[in-house]
Amino acid sequence: MKNKSGNTKALFWIFVILIISGWFVFSSADGRAKNIPDSSRSLGELQKITLSTQNYNYYPNIIKVKSNQPVEITLDESVRGCLRAFTIKDFGVSQVSSNPSEKITFTPTKKGTFKFACSMGMAYGTIIVE
Amino acid sequence: MAWKEFKNELNGNRVEGELIKTFLYSIIISLLSFFTFYFVVDGNGLYEFLGKYGQSIFLTAISYGLIVCSIRQVRAYKEMPCMSGMMVGMTTGMIAGFLPGFYVATNNGMFIGSVFGMFIGIGVGIWNGKCSGIMGIMEGIMAGFMGGLMGAMTAFMLINDHLLASSIIVLIISAVILIGLNFMIYNEMKETKRQRYEDHFLTIIVTFILMMITMWLIVVGPRGGLFT
Repeated sequence: MKNKSGNTKALFWIFVILIISGWFVFSSADGRAKNIPDSSRSLGELQKITLSTQNYNYYPNIIKVKSNQPVEITLDESVRGCLRAFTIKDFGVSQVSSNPSEKITFTPTKKGTFKFACSMGMAYGTIIVE
Repeated sequence: MAWKEFKNELNGNRVEGELIKTFLYSIIISLLSFFTFYFVVDGNGLYEFLGKYGQSIFLTAISYGLIVCSIRQVRAYKEMPCMSGMMVGMTTGMIAGFLPGFYVATNNGMFIGSVFGMFIGIGVGIWNGKCSGIMGIMEGIMAGFMGGLMGAMTAFMLINDHLLASSIIVLIISAVILIGLNFMIYNEMKETKRQRYEDHFLTIIVTFILMMITMWLIVVGPRGGLFT
């Protein structure tokens, strides 16, 4: 048991190093991007929305639309992989948009707050129907 | 009572008494390699660098610290019975594949994460598993292959769902498993004399190489479509 004081010191230093470096690392971490609301703009009857990706999620990830007016969603070039399979369960929307020219259109018929997501649910956001 | 003996042996003169220092040296080398890498490769702004990649690199450093401890303990005994060796190969292969795969996939996507995780997992699995011959080696290969894929896949699927919390949870669970492995090896081998005496050179080299490769991948390595 000659090693005891050496290991106590080692444990102390492990604790100190982990606490200090952990504090530095976690305090400087940038949060995941939150949302910029109200990205929709009305163009006559059709409400056009363009979604891109930022921090591995749809951006913006809160969108506002008006009820009973058609909505056209464009997934721009930054949207890749499985995020191009776009779903809004509450409105029966489930569509793969292979490129930005393939628009996703639907008409929200009920008011409220709903989720949109990629087909695997890994990227998602909120659609507010007013 | 075996656990109590193991706890006492952590302050003893067998290889178990060197594990805490091994972990400490590994963490120090990880920190040094982090700053070396930052000043050589990036150097744009420490705060920004830490914010972007710091969490993954920090958690990876702790993972490597735990993994090199098990490598040191297994190397000290050199040979083990088949059952123990298979357990060693499987556990180290799985954890050494899972954790790096997880943290690399967090920044680089599933392909790079899983390939890297499999590479590290299979490598460590073979290295440790060979203490019991071909059975341990096979077990190490299979576990490394599975762990690498699983780690990357888990990280990728959690990207928008409490990724940081998951990273910490998987690290804690892996730490418990690896400490359990240290205990199991002690329990199985406590009647056996140590076969190999080494200084900490291997710990330093292995940690440095693993950290450098991991940091290079995370910071400037290739990325999947979602991460470009």
